[in-house]
Amino acid sequence: MKPGKTNKEDRLNFVEYWADFVKNNPEKVWSRQQNILINSQIKNARGSKLSKEDYLSIKQK
Amino acid sequence: MELKDNILKLDKELNELDKFVIKFKKIIEKYTDYVIISGYVSILLGRARATEDIDIFIKELNRKTLNELYKELKKTNFWCLNTEDEEEIYNYLKDGLGVRFAKSKETIPNMEVKFALKPLQKESFNDRILIVMGKEELKISSLERQIAFKKYYLKSDKDIEDAKHIERLFNEKIDYNKVKLYKKLIENETR
Repeated sequence: MKPGKTNKEDRLNFVEYWADFVKNNPEKVWSRQQNILINSQIKNARGSKLSKEDYLSIKQK
Repeated sequence: MELKDNILKLDKELNELDKFVIKFKKIIEKYTDYVIISGYVSILLGRARATEDIDIFIKELNRKTLNELYKELKKTNFWCLNTEDEEEIYNYLKDGLGVRFAKSKETIPNMEVKFALKPLQKESFNDRILIVMGKEELKISSLERQIAFKKYYLKSDKDIEDAKHIERLFNEKIDYNKVKLYKKLIENETR
């Protein structure tokens, strides 16, 4: 993957790299990797005990 | 990943977000039709990011049916983050506002539900894609609508990246005349 000159370019390069990975690999393979990221975020969120009032207040900012 | 006749079969392993969305939509579809839009669509199609909320349009319901839906959501362990008053929920939806539902006592992930009231929102039901994942199904908006909405309306870095992911993945399947048309329609509707 080509390094970007800026953070934005670097991120876009990664998006392209990952889309190619998804395109060229079995769905079970990319989804297992993706699920590590998603499941850990949900686990952290559930552990944070953020109240609905605090959450909505953050969303409105 | 093959898209044919607006049906896409996915042999992916379901994550916690997928399971949450499937559980919610199974209740919704007992009462009305739905289409999932925005960030979760890119994620479902493999994008390497997470999200805290999933956007879903539902066809407009009358007050009585919405109350029945809300009762079932509560019975199945969902709560509304915005209010617990069913009249308020209905009024928010009728005003075109998004109302959020999560598993009881949780906030993330949550489903941001909106009535499809505007022409473009209503039209998004017409060319949906059916995602089939084993025994489970989800209806998402078309790739062209996703790309146009993300690139020309939302426009944040994250949205541009979501659009880029879909474009790169499905490049030969995307009808760019449709994307141009939706761009114009979005500009007209938001002017």
